[in-house]
Amino acid sequence: MEFLQHFGPVFTLTSMAILCGGTIGGLLLGATPGLSPTMAVALLIPFTFHMTPIHGLMLLGAAYTATVAGGAISAILLKIPGAPANIATALDGNAMAKKGEGARALQICFISSFIGGVLGILVLIFLTPVLAKWALGFGPSHLFWIAILGVTIIGSLDSKSVIKGLLAGAVGLWIAMIGYDSIQGVERFIFSEHLEGGVHIIAALIGLFAIPQIIEMLEGGRTNRQYEIVKVQPHSIVKAISETFSKMRAAVIGSVVGIIVGLIPGAGGQIAGLVSYDQARRFSPNRDKFGTGESEGVVAAETANNAMVGPSLVPLLTLSVPGSPTAAVLLGGLLIHGIFPGPNLFVEHADVAWAFINSLLIGQVLMLVFGLYIAGLAAHVVRIPPPILASGILVLSVFGAYSVQSSYSDVVVMLVLGLGMYFLSKYGFSPAPLVLGIILGPIAESNYVQGSIIAEAGDGLFSYFFTGTLNLFLITLVVASIVYSVVSEIRIRRLEPRPGVAS
Amino acid sequence: MSQQDQVAGRVQQSIPVLITLGLGLWIAYESFTVEDPQPYLFPQLISIAMIGLSAAALFRAVRGANRTGAGIPVDLLLRIAPGIAVMLVYVLVLAPQLGFYTGSAVGFFTLYSLYDPNSHQSVRTWLTRITITAGFMLVIYLVFALALQVQTPRGLFL
Repeated sequence: MEFLQHFGPVFTLTSMAILCGGTIGGLLLGATPGLSPTMAVALLIPFTFHMTPIHGLMLLGAAYTATVAGGAISAILLKIPGAPANIATALDGNAMAKKGEGARALQICFISSFIGGVLGILVLIFLTPVLAKWALGFGPSHLFWIAILGVTIIGSLDSKSVIKGLLAGAVGLWIAMIGYDSIQGVERFIFSEHLEGGVHIIAALIGLFAIPQIIEMLEGGRTNRQYEIVKVQPHSIVKAISETFSKMRAAVIGSVVGIIVGLIPGAGGQIAGLVSYDQARRFSPNRDKFGTGESEGVVAAETANNAMVGPSLVPLLTLSVPGSPTAAVLLGGLLIHGIFPGPNLFVEHADVAWAFINSLLIGQVLMLVFGLYIAGLAAHVVRIPPPILASGILVLSVFGAYSVQSSYSDVVVMLVLGLGMYFLSKYGFSPAPLVLGIILGPIAESNYVQGSIIAEAGDGLFSYFFTGTLNLFLITLVVASIVYSVVSEIRIRRLEPRPGVAS
Repeated sequence: MSQQDQVAGRVQQSIPVLITLGLGLWIAYESFTVEDPQPYLFPQLISIAMIGLSAAALFRAVRGANRTGAGIPVDLLLRIAPGIAVMLVYVLVLAPQLGFYTGSAVGFFTLYSLYDPNSHQSVRTWLTRITITAGFMLVIYLVFALALQVQTPRGLFL
């Protein structure tokens, strides 16, 4: 129960103000179509530079939690999910709103998000120290394989094409090598003056996540986007609470699915929401009503996508392997504050780690309170025209990239990476493995070099990296993640109609 | 899908993997031809992985088996090109030459006006655009310059 000793820093006036600001901002950002939680957190990182590590991480954690929940507002009112995690919510939530039950749907959504979110963070609280203690015994070869596992899992699970996912991961690993070698200080791959300081992770994160979304907002040209926003009628919160608790089966299914999916690196909230929705429908006596405004569908989807938030941070905090693209961005936030996640986190920075985790728990309560009262206001925010959003995000991106080191080279690198990522995304490449490569590259390299030195003094490179139970277990996971994705890809391709062949 | 479209699709899919293949070959050349290989041990591994994966992706693209990503049709390229041009001018010229706040105001206003669906002939539309740009920049200035007191790129102006 060590976490109970670290609640003090969370209940200060500054911390509570930051948590409230992060939660309200996160709900509004999450509700805005086109702004993903990942991009929202990436754009917020520069705002944390002037804060203490605890406050900075609280802001990022609160924003992460709230953007996932906020995505449900536009899913329910507009049938446009604010994030992929809210796709399943739109199925029944919007049908309820169209029947004049928008307020009921939103209230049930936030109560379910709270239930799932709290359970997920309890898993984070109780599982993280156990895993961290176990990981303390890891050597360079194990940490090398864990870094490679992080890239292969996200590379194969987060992409439609396994080869392109892994290729993006390899490019990310190379980008991390640009600049001066950390051991001998040797200059590597500096082909432009803007690359002399290497590629800073925050500039890369902003570029890879924000710039492609800005261009996507401009894809429609000068077309007038008309949203049909459903009017929200008042509804009793007490009734919504009792209705949500009467759908306990869906809440349990959602929480269990969300927690399991969250623990698998790379699986993500979209999978959690859809799998939970499908399972809840299968076990429901009202399964025929799913899709027509059945509140059980909203409960299942929202408990699941919020329950995955806490567990997705377990591999991040214990092994430095982010469980989702947003967790990867959070890792960037931790690194710029000098906090290196991994087995030693709870030894060297226990105060920061526990205060961060506790703030996530308090953030769930704030998300519920603000969510219940702010949803009506958020309906106006989602109507911001894309050209204004795109222009605003562009200015914030330039500011964010510059403020990292007060270097204009970071801004140029951010834009070049972002433009490149936009074009690559049109050919099936995904930014998540690339980001993971950039983040895990230095970890993989330092452990590889360290391992090589140990191996030279011992039985050789092969014996050091390819023998031993843990090494073999990790290698098996690397291979299994790739094989599983290849098999899934082949199966999906067989089900797809061939081009030119009428179905 | 016509045969011509299929060929065009294969060519389009081959372009990005040809670029990554070229990149992998360059990294391999740089990593395997240095006098002291110690700092290049890990890049050597990465280059081998990149070449192998790019070759596999190229093989699939040429066979027409690479169907992820729709590519970039010309009409889409024409729609986004003005926006990308504004981004480049803003980042490479306006912000460093004029200063962050002045350059950002010009960049914001230009990008917004270019893609705003409202009529360019209406005075009211232009007034709205100017008001929104000024309001946004005021908030940015208050937050960055006065509240957070962070350094921003300086040019001829603020």
